[in-house]
Amino acid sequence: MTVNQNELLSALVDGELKGNELEQALQLLSTSDIAKVQFQRHQFVSDVLHGYVSQNRSVDLTGRITDALLDEPAILLTTKRKALVIPFPTHLWKHATGLALAASVGAMAVMGVMNQPQNQLIPVTPVASIESPAQPMIVAQTGNRWTVGEQEVEDRLNTYLVNHSEYAGASSVFSYARVVSYDAGQ
Amino acid sequence: MDLELVQRVQEGDKKAFDVLILKYQQRIVHVITGFVHDPVEALDVAQEAFIKAYRAIPNFRGDSAFYTWLYRIAINTAKNHLTARARRPPAVDVDALDATNYYDAPELKEFETPESRLISDELEQAIQQAIQDLPEDTATAIRLREFEGMSYEEIAQVMDCPIGTVRSRIFRAREAIEKQIYQIMSEEE
Repeated sequence: MTVNQNELLSALVDGELKGNELEQALQLLSTSDIAKVQFQRHQFVSDVLHGYVSQNRSVDLTGRITDALLDEPAILLTTKRKALVIPFPTHLWKHATGLALAASVGAMAVMGVMNQPQNQLIPVTPVASIESPAQPMIVAQTGNRWTVGEQEVEDRLNTYLVNHSEYAGASSVFSYARVVSYDAGQ
Repeated sequence: MDLELVQRVQEGDKKAFDVLILKYQQRIVHVITGFVHDPVEALDVAQEAFIKAYRAIPNFRGDSAFYTWLYRIAINTAKNHLTARARRPPAVDVDALDATNYYDAPELKEFETPESRLISDELEQAIQQAIQDLPEDTATAIRLREFEGMSYEEIAQVMDCPIGTVRSRIFRAREAIEKQIYQIMSEEE
């Protein structure tokens, strides 16, 4: 055993070998009994320094375990764990691209409608209009409030809105909720 | 490096498993002795644990360190061994302990006899003396490696020297300590 080989085995104890050096050390261990003994001694010193030694003696189980595993078949994980990639048929690319474009246009249209100013979505109550055809109902298109024809319904909505505002503010449960209020003066 | 050795075993290299045995047998036997106090019995259980590990190694995916995985196998094998012999495993919940802080469990140290404690103390003193007798650079290198757990690269940075020098110093320190240890052990025999 040369000093270099001995140093190599000491470095193996510390897990400091890679590539060629690791290959060299493993080759040495599998071919030389002296190397194996030397490696064991280095490892034992490290174990003693860490307090991993029982009954203050060196143990060697390799022989027993190797014998016990003699009849065991060698493990062969020949198939590397790789992600299964299914090739996408080329003739489907055109269809897929067309569908993707159509979906994008559709999504943009929906987003556009949703981003319209809120006033344009204010429901006009046709029932109220029917009830009083002589006096067509004026619906405020610029304000924040709903305008309904019946006072009773309006009062109830009023109560709901006040309760909602107070609850959302007090509990912080709906901290993201929008506080709704009537225009000033109404 | 353990992972590389495990991959080699998974690819059919039985010799790589021998290196893993050489590396961890002492620690595994020590852990098992905490359960199975008889030293001969402990060796049998350790052997069984390594065989189980070999058979299970195709399932090892590297989610944890190899030693942690092996440690769990060893603990379970020891517990099963005691149960099979109608003996009660230690009350301590060893599974909950990490492999590295196992030695903090006082319940598992009860098996230590006064004689073995005395020899341990003697060994410890001899090691301390051996380290003190080393040249300062060599002593520092081995201390940083074994007690501080630094890598060669880190030690090289701390000591401001090439990695090759760190490797040589650690090797020389081990040789010196080795002489002391084996001298004491041969005196005991």
